[in-house]
Formats: sequence, C-alpha cells, structure tokens
Amino acid sequence: MENKQEQALRLLQLRFIGKILAGFTHEIKNHMAIVKESAGLMGDMIKLGKTVGDDSSQYLEIIRSIEEQTEKSIVHFRYLNGFSHRMDTPLSSFNINDCLEELTALVHRFANQKRITLEKDFRKDLPSINSSPAILQFLVFNFLEDKMSRLDKNSSIIIKTEVINGSVAIRIIPEGNLLETETEITLCPHEMNDYAIKILTGTISTQGQETVITLPIAAA
Amino acid sequence: MSQTKVLLVDDEVEFVSALAERLQLRNYEVKTANSALEALGLIHGFLPDVVILDLRIPGMDGIETLRTIKKLDPTIEVIMLTGHGDMKSVEEGLQGGAFEYIMKPVDIGEITAKIDKAQKKRNKG
Repeated sequence: MENKQEQALRLLQLRFIGKILAGFTHEIKNHMAIVKESAGLMGDMIKLGKTVGDDSSQYLEIIRSIEEQTEKSIVHFRYLNGFSHRMDTPLSSFNINDCLEELTALVHRFANQKRITLEKDFRKDLPSINSSPAILQFLVFNFLEDKMSRLDKNSSIIIKTEVINGSVAIRIIPEGNLLETETEITLCPHEMNDYAIKILTGTISTQGQETVITLPIAAA
Repeated sequence: MSQTKVLLVDDEVEFVSALAERLQLRNYEVKTANSALEALGLIHGFLPDVVILDLRIPGMDGIETLRTIKKLDPTIEVIMLTGHGDMKSVEEGLQGGAFEYIMKPVDIGEITAKIDKAQKKRNKG
C-alpha cells in the first residue's frame, strides 16, 4: 500500500514539475520575444538610416527595455534553480517563506491567466523547519491549483504564514467567489495530499474556504 | 496601393510596441491592444485587415476572442500568436476560422510573409 502511494506521489510530483516548467518556459519565452523585437527594432532603425544624432533617447529606451527583460529572466532563472535544488535531499532545514516565495513566483503565470492575484502575507521572523521543501511546495501547489480552478476571474488568494502553538501555519485563503463542488477539479486526489502531509509530519485543516497547513518547528 | 491594416493583440506591452514599430517601418498601418476587450473595441473603428492575436491573453480566452472577431467581421483574417507546446489551442483556433499561426518569439520575415498572404486571401475573397 505504502509503495503504491509512493509511486502515485512521484507521478503527481512529475506532473507538478512539468507544470512549473511549462509556466517557466512560457515566461522566459515572453522575455526573449521582447529582447528579440527590441534588438530587431534597433537593427531596423540603423538599417533604415535613423541615425542617433542629437536624439539618442529612443535607442536608450530600447536598451533599457532589453536590460529590464534580461534582469527579469535572471530573477526567474534564480527561482527555477532554487526550486530544482529543493529536491537535492529528502529532508533539510529551510525557511518556509523562501520556499513559498519561490513557488508563488513560479505559479504566477497560471494565476495571471485567470486574473487571480496571489497575495503574500508572510510573517517576517518565521523560524526554520526541518522537513521536505519539495513535498511542501507540491502540497501548497495542489491547494493553489484547486482554488484557482474554482475561483472567479479577478479574485485573489492570500498565502499567509504565522506561528501558532509551536508550529508554523500556512493559510491559503481564497478571496472571491469560490465555486463549491462535490467533485474534485484538481487531478491530485485528497489521499495524496494526506500522504504528503504525513511525510511532512504536519496537519491539514479547513476553516470555511480556507486551507491551513500546520508544520512542526525544527528542534534547535 | 493602400497599406495593410494590422491589429496586434498581446498583453506584453513592450513586445507589442516594438513589433508594431517594426511593422510600421515596413509600411503596415498598425494599432495595438493589450487585452481582448480593447481589441474588440478597436475592430469597428480601425477595421483591420489582419489581426495578430496572442492566444494566452489574460481575461477572455484567446479562442473565444477569435470567434468573436470572426462573428463581428468574417472577412478579417486572424493570425494566432502562440508558444511551443500549445498545439491543442492552435488546432482549435484553425478550426475556429484562424488563417495561420506564428510561434513566439517571432521572425519578422515570417510574420510579414503571413500578413501579406492573409491580405492576398482577403483581396481574393
């Protein structure tokens, strides 16, 4: 039974990684498209004899745009690099805020498609926890994906972190009209979330539309 | 010969503005829109010959936008802008009346060739 659950979890994790990569490549492709068009436009202007002369402002504006897109791509690459290294070891001591920051940056594109805003309300001095960051990102993604699929356009989801009774709590709070459904829209079954939280030695609870993931703080 | 009117629809403002300028330098008359609603609002006033439509614009679905454009004026040719791996939407778009598709990042030679081909089809029709 344990082995079957493990296999199912790996398959769903692969699906999750695929989704993250699809969103990432889409984002980078858009930055590259802007860089390509901006460079092409400068080339066109030079070929067509639009000399810099006294007014170099348009050229400077295009260069600024290229720099900005390159910087955005670098930031996004950093997030993907961090995300990839979350899987280096099954267990590690990590900061939940950093872990969630990375995840929200990588799922931002999916939220944007539905005009859903992901709002972060992270407690600043959150203690580290000793657990599996890769499984935690997978679990939070499942809840985000489920809520995003059921929320109306122009809604928001607040991701809040706090310390409650010696544990770190991650609250996923949908703000907007959330479609109530008996059948699960997300492809990740409840049992897998239960299995994932068991690995994390935490708990999952719901308060209205809100999902709360609670994880024990690492012993000093 | 009159200029071909092109409406560019994409939510990436800087991409649209650079591409619009490059097309203008090649003698196309270009207007831009950053959302489906803005694009639909421009259809009646601008009367484009060709619409270049990003299938992943936020808000209204790209395919839905395509269908609405074709309903408003079936003679407008729509070229879809899409990313790699989005072939399901491309197929749906072609079935929904799109003329062609282009992968992002675009090649200026490819895009002008497709606009000209679309305009030729429109003139024949």
